[in-house]
Amino acid sequence: MAISESDVRHVALLARLALTDEQVRHLTVELSSILDHVSEIQSLDLAGVEPTAHPFPMRNVTRPDVVRPGLSRERALLNAPEAEDGAFVIPRIVGAEEEA
Amino acid sequence: MAKDRLNEVLERYEAVIGLEIHTELTSLNSKMFCGCPVEFGGEPNTRVCPVCLGMPGALPVPNQAAVEATVLAGLALECEIARFSQFHRKNYFYPDMPKNYQISQYDLPFCAHGHLDVEVGEGDAAYVTRIGITRIHLEEDTGKMIHVGGSEGRIAGADHSLVDFNRAGTPLIELVTEPDIRTPEEARRFAQTLRTIFLALGISDCSMEEGSMRVDANVSIRPRGAVELGTKAEVKNMNSFKALHDALAYEIVRQADLVDAGGRVVQETRHWDAAAKRTSALRSKEEAHDYRYFPEPDMVPFEFTEEWIAAIRERLPELPAARRDRYVQTFGLPKHDARLIAEDVPLAQFFEQAVDAAGAKLAKPVANWVLGELSAHLNATGAAVGSCGITPEMLAELVVLVDEGTISGKQAKEVFAEMAESGDMPAAIVERRGMRQVSDTGAIEAVVVKVLAEHPAEVESYRSGKSGLIGWFVGQVMREMRGQANPAVVNEVLKQHLDQ
Repeated sequence: MAISESDVRHVALLARLALTDEQVRHLTVELSSILDHVSEIQSLDLAGVEPTAHPFPMRNVTRPDVVRPGLSRERALLNAPEAEDGAFVIPRIVGAEEEA
Repeated sequence: MAKDRLNEVLERYEAVIGLEIHTELTSLNSKMFCGCPVEFGGEPNTRVCPVCLGMPGALPVPNQAAVEATVLAGLALECEIARFSQFHRKNYFYPDMPKNYQISQYDLPFCAHGHLDVEVGEGDAAYVTRIGITRIHLEEDTGKMIHVGGSEGRIAGADHSLVDFNRAGTPLIELVTEPDIRTPEEARRFAQTLRTIFLALGISDCSMEEGSMRVDANVSIRPRGAVELGTKAEVKNMNSFKALHDALAYEIVRQADLVDAGGRVVQETRHWDAAAKRTSALRSKEEAHDYRYFPEPDMVPFEFTEEWIAAIRERLPELPAARRDRYVQTFGLPKHDARLIAEDVPLAQFFEQAVDAAGAKLAKPVANWVLGELSAHLNATGAAVGSCGITPEMLAELVVLVDEGTISGKQAKEVFAEMAESGDMPAAIVERRGMRQVSDTGAIEAVVVKVLAEHPAEVESYRSGKSGLIGWFVGQVMREMRGQANPAVVNEVLKQHLDQ
């Protein structure tokens, strides 16, 4: 196995996925087979090959520093489950403090 | 926090401090990856679009001016500029970040390996310390949360929170220093010096109060002479340079007390409470700092050529330290005065225009007026240099009038007040108010003769050794002449008559 059940539980927690024990066992097998498959690349001699950040041979794509119209506040909040004073409402945050 | 206590601790322990400084590129028009405007405040969620709200399918495109501003900052701080660079996704869940990842940079920042020479202390105790700059990278700012219910708008005890994404996506540069800083004062001076440089580059308004410049610090202590680093704590929420200094002073003493008592410093994030003047631990998050960075697939990488970097370098303005040195060398200003002017870009421009108009030999009095009456006027009115009603030409004319002896320094202050009020040129004010200082020796001599004749007793005292009376005689003559006599000439004529 390329990864363990505890690896799967860790990644699931980071992704905020609630998995049953059965799903963890299942995913450990599936993810391991994917990693085993990809690891075949490591048997190749890749000395001198730069990491490929992007498959397109394009560089330096930017936009000029120009303001463009965005969404009205009404439209921005349209899909919000709850809104108050023009802001998105989120539930009480538990177990965490301010993040920079 | 007693300063003595910190000094006592720093005799036994060495503090090792590194700073992490986030600066919003507030001078840009639009956000980092979309065309929403960059502004401060405003009604919540009125500067948002599908990109900065993280809506599915929306594609970010980097702001060219933000990339250039970051490289400009890197060049000003002697950094190496990457020839190949890219954005990464930093993955974590937090409600002020709509995508659940922040577009940032990871192993290929735009700028790395720079340094800044910081001058610390005044007079004989002054020294220069070189602080290494590990990296400067570009990223996007998060939204803001307002915590409802509970006390003081803090998360703890809040019923729920409101999220405003106006700030989300604001271009943000993160600068990380090497752990080269040794005292709270060095940390403060580093941040202040950096701010003057960013202001000179014109990339940010660098307001610690409004949060466009935010300084976090990593601090640890080790016994003097030790090589191994101690466990560090990260200190956040310092909203002024004083807070940065005081929080570090508190934290160094706290760690020393802990170690002295046989305890151990815990690696944690601590929050500075400016009112209580102490740091306190934040509850630590489970699984913290597992950000699973990976290259941002929505954007292609950057490749910077030598020519492109050279073109950005061409845009570097004269930086505050170089400008200060030029003022000292060219105009003979005292170093302290030169620094005060050079670090304030609009004030420096005003000064230089006034010196151009008045002539370089009058640079010193111009500097005195700029730092004296002009600065006081700006403080009193809250006006900016460019819109305070006083132009460099007005100040230059005033300084020339004094230098030529047309008006006295005292009269010049009256003229200054009036020109600030009316916007009239000083020569016109002097003419209108008949303020012309009398330097004509004949006219002054007539008054001197009269004053001496009226006060034979004082003349006798002066001649028998009470030479301090000269000031009293000058006062009498000035009063007779309604303050319009040239004091230097009065002094001279009086001495001629008294000492004969």
